[in-house]
Amino acid sequence: MREQLQAALGGIHAEPELKAAARAAVARRARRHGLAARPLRLALAAAACVAVILGGQWLYFTPTEHISIDINPSLELGINRFDRVVSVQGWNEDGAALAEEVSVENLPYTQAVQTILASDTVQTLLADDGVVEIGVIGEDDARCARMLAGVQACTDETNAHCYRADPHEVEQAHDCGLSYGKYQAYQELAALDPTVTPEEVQGMTMRQIRDRIAALSGTASPETAAPAASGGAWGSADCEAAQNQETEKGHHGEGHHGGD
Amino acid sequence: MRSEQEVNRAIEQYADTVRRICFVHLKNRADTEDIFQTVFVKYLLYSQPFASAEHERAWIIRVTLNACKDLLKSFFRSRMVPLEELSDRAASADREQREVLQAVLALPEPYRDVIYLHYYEGYTAPEIAGILGKNVNTVYTRLTRARGLLRQALGGEVDA
Repeated sequence: MREQLQAALGGIHAEPELKAAARAAVARRARRHGLAARPLRLALAAAACVAVILGGQWLYFTPTEHISIDINPSLELGINRFDRVVSVQGWNEDGAALAEEVSVENLPYTQAVQTILASDTVQTLLADDGVVEIGVIGEDDARCARMLAGVQACTDETNAHCYRADPHEVEQAHDCGLSYGKYQAYQELAALDPTVTPEEVQGMTMRQIRDRIAALSGTASPETAAPAASGGAWGSADCEAAQNQETEKGHHGEGHHGGD
Repeated sequence: MRSEQEVNRAIEQYADTVRRICFVHLKNRADTEDIFQTVFVKYLLYSQPFASAEHERAWIIRVTLNACKDLLKSFFRSRMVPLEELSDRAASADREQREVLQAVLALPEPYRDVIYLHYYEGYTAPEIAGILGKNVNTVYTRLTRARGLLRQALGGEVDA
């Protein structure tokens, strides 16, 4: 009986048309599945690309620290987490003109500071016994200290004042329409002469403000004794190396007078 | 999802098995075609790996049996499909084979499965119980009763 059953059932085979119909159905289903899955895969890939691009843009273009440069032109550089300049803002007319004159976006901040200090406008002012104040503004102490050291290395042997500033005070300066360096000088001057206004200070050079503070307080301006900057004094070769040095200098309120 | 090549290999390998199960359960060609497509599309979409060729074969048999049962549950089909299967088959089989096939198809449906799986596919009662999701004793009972019915229909001894 086993043999009989095996012989009878063994005579049954799938017809070629049945197999062909099954293959066609499988192919149709596979194609439909592929078509259905493709838009989803594409959408996911596109979303991932957009996330990476937006995330990368955010990482690159968001300034984490600022560098405020005041002579009379008042400039602020936005520095990203990769130590590159991502924004340049002039805080007065001269500052806006200087921002137009120099092209420092995407440069390392030390190179940007060198470029600005070596510009014709700044060199002319420094040659005329100008005073430059450069502030590093940010919340990360270690990073700001390192940046301050880098900036100081760019201003060696000059009548420059480098300092570290608190971001919250910077906001107050901006509310007055001043860069932080000029705002600090304005506060010093306002303490001696309450009639002075931010608008008035905005048009003064740092030298003029310092001289007026010195005159009102009856002391000699420290920068007056400093030698005038020469073109070769800016942007020393040590600048880049100094950027990597950790330094104890430059905590909030501390500063460095290049001409001291 | 499996590749089409993999499914085509499975079609070549298991088409006859699926066809025999369809023969035992279904009565016309259109239903058989439906089951073929259902089984192999399910195979296409089933992405779990099989532990062995035996595992794969048992999966195909179980899916085919379930697909046949689902089809037979349909009220419309159970009453409207023409009884063409055996007459088609009978034309190409010799007298003895035709009698055997008629005897198998005359068995109550639950008995056909166990007879086919035991005598043609060579599964043991516990293996059949696993494939059908039934108690082993139930399988033994069905086998015994099916043998008795076949003996009555065909005469002679039916091997255990």
